[in-house]
Amino acid sequence: MEEFSGEEGSFNSEEASNSVKECIQSIIGEESYRQDTVNQWTAKIVEQALTLLVKQTKSYKYIVSCAVMQKSGAGLHTANSCYWDTVTDGSCTVKWENRTMYCVVSVFAVALTP
Amino acid sequence: MDEFQLSEETVETTIGSSAYQQNRINQWTSSVVETSLNQLSKLGKPFKYIVTCIILQKNGAGLHTASSCFWDNTMDRSCTVRWENKTTYCIVCVFGLAV
Repeated sequence: MEEFSGEEGSFNSEEASNSVKECIQSIIGEESYRQDTVNQWTAKIVEQALTLLVKQTKSYKYIVSCAVMQKSGAGLHTANSCYWDTVTDGSCTVKWENRTMYCVVSVFAVALTP
Repeated sequence: MDEFQLSEETVETTIGSSAYQQNRINQWTSSVVETSLNQLSKLGKPFKYIVTCIILQKNGAGLHTASSCFWDNTMDRSCTVRWENKTTYCIVCVFGLAV
């Protein structure tokens, strides 16, 4: 994944990654996987992450997707591919885990044409 | 939706009736997203596309996914394809953003 930091009008994936990590930590940091609340967690994570990104006031459309999986030995693989403007658009993926679950959050930023 | 059918067919032709195999799973996820993206770009519509794919082994683990989007509600769309066989779940999301 390429870093587009330090350029005007390009996506700063490091900054987005840090925001998302804080977001995940604050919502499920101390929690154990619970089937009855995991829906609320994924919804909160994507909403909060999106709110934080939009506050950065850059002219982007954003897509945030989150997957939370219980740790039980199952294999999980994810992949993304994007058909966009490679100069202005960017993405970042954050992988997080605690004792009972994995969380993978992907952020895609697509530049708004003025 | 064209995109929905394309994604379903892509998953079927890539994974089909294969059983989950850890040493091949990377190839499958990459192949699904690349093939889907190629087919979508051939549609020739004025959209940027993002395709994500999750492949999960069936062993009773719980998996939950969510996505939120900050975009143009009138022009942009997404669709999700859920596919399974005896040993594997596959979830493909396609996001289309108008240029």
